[in-house]
Amino acid sequence: MLKQIWLVPALPLAGFVVSLFAGKRLGRYAGWLASALVVAAFGVATAIFLDLASLPDTNRLVVRRLYEWIAVGGFHVAVDLRVDPLSMTMALVVTGVGAVIHVYSIGYMRGDPRYGRFFAYMNLFVFFMLTLVLAENFLLLYLGWEGVGLCSYLLIGFWHERPAAASAAKKAFVVTRIGDTFMLIGIALTFLRLGSLDFNQVLSASVCRSNGFCPPTSQPPGVFTVIALLLFAGAIGKSAQVPLHVWLPDAMEGPTPVSALIHAATMVTAGVYLVARTHVFFENSGVALTVVLVVGLITAIYAATVALAQDDFKRVLAWSTISQLGFMFLALGLRAYWSAVFLLVTHAFYKALLFLSAGSVMHALDGETDLKRMGGLRRTMPLTAVVCSIGALALAGIPPFAGFFSKDDVLAAANQTGHVLAWVIALAAAFFSALYMARLVFLAFFGEDRTERRAHESQPVMTVPLVLLAIGAAFGGFLGANETRGLLQTFLAPVLGRVPEPTQGLSGHTLAGISVGVAALAIVVGWLVYGSGRIDWVALRVRLSSLHRFLARGWYVDDAYGAVLVSPGKAGSAFLAYVVDARVVDGAVNATGRLVRWLASVGRRVQTGFVRNYALAIFLGALALLVYVGFRV
Amino acid sequence: MRTPIAYFLVVSAALFTIGSVGVLVRKNALVIFMSVELQLNAVNLALVAFSRMHGALDGQVLAFFSMVVAAAEVVVGLAIIVSVYRRRQSANVDDVNLLKW
Repeated sequence: MLKQIWLVPALPLAGFVVSLFAGKRLGRYAGWLASALVVAAFGVATAIFLDLASLPDTNRLVVRRLYEWIAVGGFHVAVDLRVDPLSMTMALVVTGVGAVIHVYSIGYMRGDPRYGRFFAYMNLFVFFMLTLVLAENFLLLYLGWEGVGLCSYLLIGFWHERPAAASAAKKAFVVTRIGDTFMLIGIALTFLRLGSLDFNQVLSASVCRSNGFCPPTSQPPGVFTVIALLLFAGAIGKSAQVPLHVWLPDAMEGPTPVSALIHAATMVTAGVYLVARTHVFFENSGVALTVVLVVGLITAIYAATVALAQDDFKRVLAWSTISQLGFMFLALGLRAYWSAVFLLVTHAFYKALLFLSAGSVMHALDGETDLKRMGGLRRTMPLTAVVCSIGALALAGIPPFAGFFSKDDVLAAANQTGHVLAWVIALAAAFFSALYMARLVFLAFFGEDRTERRAHESQPVMTVPLVLLAIGAAFGGFLGANETRGLLQTFLAPVLGRVPEPTQGLSGHTLAGISVGVAALAIVVGWLVYGSGRIDWVALRVRLSSLHRFLARGWYVDDAYGAVLVSPGKAGSAFLAYVVDARVVDGAVNATGRLVRWLASVGRRVQTGFVRNYALAIFLGALALLVYVGFRV
Repeated sequence: MRTPIAYFLVVSAALFTIGSVGVLVRKNALVIFMSVELQLNAVNLALVAFSRMHGALDGQVLAFFSMVVAAAEVVVGLAIIVSVYRRRQSANVDDVNLLKW
């Protein structure tokens, strides 16, 4: 079965082709077809996963060559698919969560005029995402990387009639592009320095053994730092880390299933995957690891505070996603790669669940996303309220839900590797995470009804996916419940290394207790402010309006970019367009024309039309020639 | 004794000069035309004279070519002059000055 890995990306690709050309003709079956293909891909991936798991630890790596892609001189790139524990874990998340979201979209997108097109794009996205995670070399990974960026653009701007959606799509594309460019340079540098783009060769050539032995690489010491930082710049863009995070909140203009699939569960985690995949580069360069840690930590706390002040249901989730991705990078920076991947997997479940709940609420309220105009929805939408609460509890880190185990892992890693300051900050971020989730749930589903219309529960095609994801969000944590010998950790060990036994810091149980305590405290605070009715949160907001605005606008980062980058950029473009181009360039062209015209107006006087003038000219010319010849001789 | 070459050349030069002046100063197209013929014949004379001086036939052959070309040119030129005259009732070259700026 391992050899059939090509089927996994091929099935969604087939769905894309069919939906693209026959989407209109398929009508509402387009959704079922697209979903069935992704489910089939999930089935194949599961079978391959089981095959892989049955192999002995050290043999869990199969590379399937499909064909030679590029062969120029010494530069060879093939379309190779890599089957190893990490890539299969990612493939399962992509196809599994993807399949559920596809089914949900059948209901959510019903009646959309571009129904077939939507599923074509979704299938294409799944294809590219699978290419990204299954790629065996950097170039194929980059192909998938750009492909998911393209699909992200297409799907954010899916309702491009709305100017906000169109510009959000552009923003997402351009901002991630900045990181991608650095990443491409990093890839080129990898080839120049290490002579190959294949993970197998590149990573094993630079791997440090667990006993501290590093192979004698002929590279100058800074090379790995540079490569790692360039690759990480790509990850920053794709995973919306500070300072390239500004596109993700705007990306919420896309349809909600898109937010769930691309901007929560899969694409934005590509950066985490990339760093985990190339972690040997980062380990060879201590600086790069520190950078990852700091960026992740800053993002985690920053985005969590911003999420506290968002009024838009989806934007709360978007900022929360940024914050959670920050936690993942924090884990990567702490060399706790397994924790990062574990958090990635559980986050895929509960964040997709939260987004789909948001979609369910929007569906019931005719596209309303403002939390101020919700409230009391648990009475009209009991199922959505329950699953959304499960997602929120999972994110907040309340046991036994998934997020508890994964986030606790990250926090424990921070404490037990001696990064106490990082641990404290991460703990604060976790506190805010629980607080904004509590705020979201209490504002939307509890309290008095502030809606303008009668909500209703969604149809089964949407609620069944919600329940499936809720199961994942509730029990997914048991995949890695045991910190050092969990199921996931053991499975990933051949790629990411064994989880070391903690040697310092507090014990696991104490840490778990502390993080649960923090989360519970946050939920209680959230309940007091937003759920109990004893505190007037509207008045509180007015009293703290400047702080609120500071947080709501994301610490004015976007405004700062607007002032520092966008406005001067626009002014510069205007200068180039209206002064340099219109005056200088066009002026030069026009001046040339005028010069020729003037010369002609003078020169044409020669043509008098009188035959005798011409005859005279001929004589004079002949005479001149004669004189010239005569004198030369 | 032979007539010295200079005599021929003087006549030739005189003819050529007369022709040139005629082309430049006269207005009547027919007269201009005749002056052109004069120039051609002046050149022919020089050619034949040089031919005689060198004792070679090249100059005479070239003179025959020149005559043939002159005859052809007269055919075309006279036809043009006649049709211009028919159109404008004039053979004055200064009246035919449309081909200008």
